Amino acid sequence: MITLKRRVLLGALVCTTFAAFPAYAADPIKIGVTGPYTGGSSAMGVSMRDAARLAAAEINTAGGVLGRPLLLVERDDEAKNEVGAQVAQELINKEKVAATIGFINTGVALAAQRFYQEAEIPVFNNVATGTIITNQFKEPDYDANYVFRNSAYDVLQAGMMVDEALARNFKKIALLADSTNYGQLGREDIEKYLATKGVKPVVVEKFNIKDVDMTAQLLKAQQAGADVILAYGIGPELAQIANGMAKLGWKVPMITSWPSSMQSFLDIAGANGNGVMMPQTFIEDQTLPKRKSFLENYYKTYGVSKIPTPVAGAQGYDSVYLLAAAIKQAGSTDGAKIRAALENLNERVEGVVTTYEKPFTAKDHNAITRNMVVFGKVQDGKIVYAKEEDAKNAGVVRVKEKSAN
Amino acid sequence: MAIFLQLIASGVAVGMIYAAIAFGYQLTFATSKTLNFGQGEALALGALFGLTLVPIVGYWLMIPLVLVFGFALGAVVERLGVRPAVKIKSEYGWIMATIALGIIFRNVAENIWGRDDLKFPSPLPEAAIQVGDTRILPMELLIVAGALLMMLAVEIFNRKSIWGKAVVATSNDIDAAGLMGINTQKVITLSYSISAMTAAFAGVLVAPVTLTGATMGAVLALKAFAVAIIGGLESGLGVIVGGLILGVAETLTGFYISTGYKDVPGLILLLVVLSIRPVGLFGKAVIKKV
Repeated sequence: MITLKRRVLLGALVCTTFAAFPAYAADPIKIGVTGPYTGGSSAMGVSMRDAARLAAAEINTAGGVLGRPLLLVERDDEAKNEVGAQVAQELINKEKVAATIGFINTGVALAAQRFYQEAEIPVFNNVATGTIITNQFKEPDYDANYVFRNSAYDVLQAGMMVDEALARNFKKIALLADSTNYGQLGREDIEKYLATKGVKPVVVEKFNIKDVDMTAQLLKAQQAGADVILAYGIGPELAQIANGMAKLGWKVPMITSWPSSMQSFLDIAGANGNGVMMPQTFIEDQTLPKRKSFLENYYKTYGVSKIPTPVAGAQGYDSVYLLAAAIKQAGSTDGAKIRAALENLNERVEGVVTTYEKPFTAKDHNAITRNMVVFGKVQDGKIVYAKEEDAKNAGVVRVKEKSAN
Repeated sequence: MAIFLQLIASGVAVGMIYAAIAFGYQLTFATSKTLNFGQGEALALGALFGLTLVPIVGYWLMIPLVLVFGFALGAVVERLGVRPAVKIKSEYGWIMATIALGIIFRNVAENIWGRDDLKFPSPLPEAAIQVGDTRILPMELLIVAGALLMMLAVEIFNRKSIWGKAVVATSNDIDAAGLMGINTQKVITLSYSISAMTAAFAGVLVAPVTLTGATMGAVLALKAFAVAIIGGLESGLGVIVGGLILGVAETLTGFYISTGYKDVPGLILLLVVLSIRPVGLFGKAVIKKV
């Protein structure tokens, strides 16, 4: 039933895209969209892709870019590094894309983006958070860096998680992280930041993807007298931690990396997930007109009442607009020119996460700064603002800090 | 002490999950000396099929339907994967064939149910109950009870029913059983059916604790395989003991040594058993005549 619906939707999209063609004289501008549309992180990939489709459709309705429509070339990287690398080569050599957006998984991004760097085609990370992603081809080792990002990178999230724990006067921090690249890089970032604050976590524990039982990890934390848990992982395992705490009848606040906003976390943890906090660039609220229209459009187009992973959706949507603005400014689809335009973007791009004013410079390829990220909180199956002042200021657009450049 | 007991309790629960899955390996090995390497997928298909049925028929009526589903699935695996290989006396054909069928099943499941981990409704309250200083989920107790009951049922079937006796006879000596007029081919099909049925049942049993998804069987079936080898591939009791050893070893190591090394003692034990007693702790040593 679902697949049928999707197919109809896809058909409709394809039809509208083709129907729109005669209006343009020129060829479409091809944009690669790579992400896991199947598999454990597919909720993020699909949210990103679906939102990107909306943005592209809006831009095309408004006349496209440089008088040419945008054409999204979507490829499933299955969250696998080797598939991601293949997809990258296909998009570059066969599809000849002008730029690519996507990457949900840090490992895939690291494996695939060197092909874009070599081909001098901008690649735009809109979900993956590994800190190293934008530093992989940094100056002075490389003349130009073709990797851009509009997600909250790990160092930033780690800092927020630690600061939140310390601000609430928690002294004994238990640190749990999954054994993947993602979890262990995040753990390193947290430990480094804790060290600068002179704090040492009372326990540091690992868990594996698909682990069923978190008793050992949680008992260790409990025995060490932990008064807060910082956890770096993805939805299902973070949910097992929340469920494990409920099982042991032990409840301390839990602050996690952003994937506890995934639908799988909400489903699996149920009531046990209530109160869990995580950094978020986007909360589903309809305070700003732009957000309202984006959310309404998303719900209506895909027949849902909630974006599976709102953060991935919002960032995916914004990434298309940022790229479109850069192509417009570059006046061509030449990779080097688009990169130069991104690094010095004149247009104010109104997105749903924030309004982007000069989001990138030659040195800084991260559009998101700490002030744009808020804490979300799980409340009865939804992500809401964790803090009252954030909820009150929901309608205020938080723009990039000048000092960050 | 309270902590130790809690660790043991959690280890037993995890161990019984492994044992319930490992039990299926033992059933087919006894009759045909072959294994279904797609056992993990049978587990996942059973759980996913059950998940689809629960909203329609309710939790308890879902179980017999899943059993029927598993029974049919096992027959299909035997017919397509094992019988052709056994017929031509291929020593390895069935390994490849059951793995291949497993991959096909997983892909089919991914296409039907997607690749997300799904929550399986728990038939019992989800709040833990306190026994002394130990806290246990009602669902964990159900897993232990359900797994034991399942093994008991199969054991009674083997001892009391005429079909079960044929299974036992075939296990003891397949050629002699054939000469006595037992249709050993059918018996092997039956053992595959029962094996997949136990896997499907184990799937719905453990799903509320482990989450449900096409790939849920991957890690579990591998651990269960280790359990079957530790306990002995021909012994039902061995599977239980092997499961408990592995489960408890995991939680104890996780707590007393490091969660990073959680899986190591089980694997060391596996190597030790293989080098000292290759038939497993409870296996019967047989001399293979050539």
